[in-house]
Amino acid sequence: MERSEPGVTVRDTIDEGTPGAADRGDAERARAGDARAYERLYRRHAARIHGLARRMIGFDVADEVTQDVFVRAWEKLGTFRGEAAFGTWLYRLAINLMLSRRSWLGLQRRRMDEREGTLEALPARPASSDLSMDFERAIALLPPGAREIFVLHDVEGFKHQEIARELRVTTGTTKAQLHRARAMLRRHLEA
Amino acid sequence: MNDLLHPAPERLSEYLDGELGDRERAQVATHLQGCGDCAGAVDQLRAVKERAASLPARGPETDLWPAIEGRLKPRGATAGGRATILSPARGWRDWRVSLGLPQLAAAALALVLLGAGGLWVALERTRPSTPAATTTDRTAPDFIGPTALPADFGFVRYDGAIAALRQTLENHRDELDPTTVRIVDRNLLVIDHAIAEARRALAADPANPYLNHHLADQMQRKVNLLRQVTALIHA
Repeated sequence: MERSEPGVTVRDTIDEGTPGAADRGDAERARAGDARAYERLYRRHAARIHGLARRMIGFDVADEVTQDVFVRAWEKLGTFRGEAAFGTWLYRLAINLMLSRRSWLGLQRRRMDEREGTLEALPARPASSDLSMDFERAIALLPPGAREIFVLHDVEGFKHQEIARELRVTTGTTKAQLHRARAMLRRHLEA
Repeated sequence: MNDLLHPAPERLSEYLDGELGDRERAQVATHLQGCGDCAGAVDQLRAVKERAASLPARGPETDLWPAIEGRLKPRGATAGGRATILSPARGWRDWRVSLGLPQLAAAALALVLLGAGGLWVALERTRPSTPAATTTDRTAPDFIGPTALPADFGFVRYDGAIAALRQTLENHRDELDPTTVRIVDRNLLVIDHAIAEARRALAADPANPYLNHHLADQMQRKVNLLRQVTALIHA
């Protein structure tokens, strides 16, 4: 099940466990300077933002990026008017920050590079009993361009048109990169 | 499309996502009925897609809130002409003061003076520690220090505070636990790398507000880390 907001398509499941009323109240208090209210918002949304950072940017910088997202959101709380759910607003801000960061870090230069053999670095069979974590590590080994599109489409539920607009590429590119990512991960699942 | 010809691989993903038009979708569907290889490929792509959609939410392994809280800047004046000033440090987070505009102006002036005082404190720490310096560190609100350097102090001021704190670390390095030193050095390396990258990016795009902000954040992180270390030294 998906719902659409301007520029964003978010699965309903994303907001599970984050009561909208509690978020709104805490966002208002945080906007007035209440750090305890902001901490509660952090506790409710950290896992989702960290997961996005981990998958979009990488395990090694996910903590740092998550911190940056919440610091930036604190500074931008004045622009949150409650028209969308706080989680959606935060998520949008996180996506923008991550795309911006990967751009200036130079990741964009490597976005569409050819590194088909990257996943071969993984063990032939999952070394961990935690299959979801193993799958996450496989995602992390995808070439950056394919990984971003795979995460935004298959994990986060964005549509090709939205991804193409954000990344400033064509939908043909996003579809090709999505398939490329799936094909590489398919080989991983087969192993 | 001839049913005997395999569709382009990307078409299988598009078929799976319902991205094909009616005609092409029907053609692929017909092909899949007679081609075990392609049907198997679609099943595997579907498995990947379903796995991705069902990934559990998993938070960071360590609690990031203390670091985030330490980086939160006090709120500015509100529409009602009153501002809430909140100390960012753990242990002071419930300390709030509501100020009117005249008080706010006085507080702003005080903040500038205290920021300069904080720099002075940081510089003082380059000298061998004294009981007085330790006392100041423990009793003063956290905004009396480099974490609250006014914005117009600029990066040069950060550089000054960092250099002073760094010197303190070097002077007392042998007094710290080797594991602590190793972790601190590693963290400093990461931060220095981020600062260097931000500076390089800023050289190409000096007016970029994100880059300026990011550089300030990184320098603030470095100050925070060094302050933690100097607190350990003086403890």
